[in-house]
Amino acid sequence: MDKNIFLVGLNHRSASVDVREKFALTSVTDFEKSLLAACPLREVLALSTCNRVEILVVADADRCAEQDITEAVLRHWAETCQGPLDVLRTHTYMHQGLEAVTHLFRVAASLDSMIMGEPQILGQLKKSYRKAVETGTARVIINRLLHKSFSVAKRVRTETAIASSAVSISYAAVELAKKIFGELSGKTAMLIGAGEMAELAATHLLTFGIDKLYICNRTYARALELAKTMHGEAVFFEDMVERLRGVDIIISSTGSPTAIIRAKDIREVLKKRRNRAMFFIDIAVPRDIDPDVNSLDNVYLYDIDDLKEVVEENMSARQGEAVKASAIVDLEVDAFATWMKSLALQPTITDLFGRAEDVAQRELAKTLKRLGPVDEETHEALEVLVRSIGHKLLHEPICFLKRRTREEGSAERFIDVTRRIFNLDGDAVNPDAHLDRRSAAEEEPLECECCRDPEPDQTESGDQPKQQ
Amino acid sequence: MGLPDFLPILIIGLYFFGTAFYVLGSALRNERIKIMALVLGGVGFALHGLDLAQQLAGAQAPGPLTSGRFLFSLLGLGIMFIFLVLWWRLKMRFLAVVALPLALVFYATADATSGIKATLPPMLTWLFFLLHIGTLFASMAMLAMGAGAGAAFLHLEKRIKTKTGLKKFQQDMPSLDTFDKVNHWVIVAGFPLYALGLVSGFVWAWLSSKRVFSFDPKEILALVMLGLYAYLFHQRLAYGWRGRKPAVLLIGVFLLMVVSMLGINFLVPTTFHGFKP
Repeated sequence: MDKNIFLVGLNHRSASVDVREKFALTSVTDFEKSLLAACPLREVLALSTCNRVEILVVADADRCAEQDITEAVLRHWAETCQGPLDVLRTHTYMHQGLEAVTHLFRVAASLDSMIMGEPQILGQLKKSYRKAVETGTARVIINRLLHKSFSVAKRVRTETAIASSAVSISYAAVELAKKIFGELSGKTAMLIGAGEMAELAATHLLTFGIDKLYICNRTYARALELAKTMHGEAVFFEDMVERLRGVDIIISSTGSPTAIIRAKDIREVLKKRRNRAMFFIDIAVPRDIDPDVNSLDNVYLYDIDDLKEVVEENMSARQGEAVKASAIVDLEVDAFATWMKSLALQPTITDLFGRAEDVAQRELAKTLKRLGPVDEETHEALEVLVRSIGHKLLHEPICFLKRRTREEGSAERFIDVTRRIFNLDGDAVNPDAHLDRRSAAEEEPLECECCRDPEPDQTESGDQPKQQ
Repeated sequence: MGLPDFLPILIIGLYFFGTAFYVLGSALRNERIKIMALVLGGVGFALHGLDLAQQLAGAQAPGPLTSGRFLFSLLGLGIMFIFLVLWWRLKMRFLAVVALPLALVFYATADATSGIKATLPPMLTWLFFLLHIGTLFASMAMLAMGAGAGAAFLHLEKRIKTKTGLKKFQQDMPSLDTFDKVNHWVIVAGFPLYALGLVSGFVWAWLSSKRVFSFDPKEILALVMLGLYAYLFHQRLAYGWRGRKPAVLLIGVFLLMVVSMLGINFLVPTTFHGFKP
């Protein structure tokens, strides 16, 4: 390999939030351009989110011997952020070669995230890649590496259950509601009291299609205000129990020191609603709903501790899936290493002849089958013919590659294109493979991951800590 | 053209492997294995239908209509048919885990009863067959599916209620509401069919032997089942029963059905329904 890949970065594990704030890159594009200008690098890609900064660089192997590349990158990073280099050095990790590739694949597959399996990081990586392509700091190796990391992330998500269960309290509540009611369309919910987590759970329910949301608050004005923002209907606190007969899901989060909903109230409500199931989500501390409610038939009550337990179980299940995901990452790293080796001219020429030989033999076999029995001389003549056509066709492209290698010292850009044109690596080609760069930013809204509610449709929750 | 002699073994094999693969696919959460199981079950169902059609076409009526082989085979086919309807209408593919083994048990039982024939009621006709056997078997097939859905409901509800967490295969199960819907339809459609089947049996008994009720153990058990079924029907529709209670009671009725079909028919001497050799 005559090119070296380096990755320098910090994340939520290696650095506290104040360090991450200090060394976050406000303009990734400017940083990439200035880094290319300041250091002897071929390619640069930087990713900066509130939980991590990753700087991926590619340098010529001979330049690496002359200069400590990672140190140069660190120095430039510290200068850009106007922060102390020593502090930065103590909080960063550095990877080189296949270790850097492994790290990047793990980041893309969300194995390195604070909430493992969350999907935002992939969108952020795609956005960074798109910018790097636009500014021209991402070329052959980073192009391939990033495309590969996207496909690794996709494989991990489809072949493992790493993102299949809820890891936030509000989303866990919605998942349970779906397990009880199936489709949530046609169902109604009531939000009693206020509170960020309760409002978030109600928002999730609306996202999943509940028909109506009632908002009940001791202060009717507050209920009206919330009802306006959440497109719900305000209900007087005194009417709450009476209105429950038409409500399937109840989220309670009041500051009441005693229970506001008791089993005897619900027994009456159940009769009126002909035993249709009810799901109570009690997020309040102290609890708003009498625990005896759970003993009634067709009534399910989850309080904050129960939901936390569900989330913890799901988190540990994701940890189990991470083992499978890591195996996928390892396989893909091996495949990438093979590709890196193939970027030299000689392996590509060998592969080209191999492909030509393969096509020639297949076409010859077809022709011979059509012709029927032929004498040995004809057979030999045909074989020479197809082989020489293949070789003649490849002659000019191979001369071109040799010439460019001689003139520029390296022609990996053309070698890569050649390998892709002839599909020498046998990659599966998606019909929309080339839309990746352009559509990267369009696929998902790309706000900072900690500023959005992350789990409405297999996304994480905002009541979790900041994540990526 | 006759069907090959090994057809029964083939059908049993298809149902057996269908069951095994479905259970395996559910445990491993492997969609491919589950689909393979359903394909095996589907082929088994098609061949099963052919086998029954051949029995009907090839034998002199009314003999085969009351042969143990025909009746048990028909019940197995009915269970598969009801499962397919529930899968189509309510997306209850999960019930394959109940339908496939039951179809296997009843088909294997049918095969084991070759040569055994019930005492024929004197006035046995096609109309009797449709009214008595057709309706009863349809309701029994529904009961089997309802019991399967009920068991799944109870299991899943216990996990949710006791907050013991949902394992992977439980996360793949349909919702409690869906299982309860199966219970509803089994009761609403199954009870009238069962009642019609029973009443038609009594009518034919009266026409053939001038006796409506002969204290036959099968008849006594059938009346007990009818009573429970009627209670369930009333509680569900008039009183609004849902969830656990109707699920438990329906499983009880299904177990009585199994006792009636496999216990009484084979072990106890009865007037019209015995297959005891």
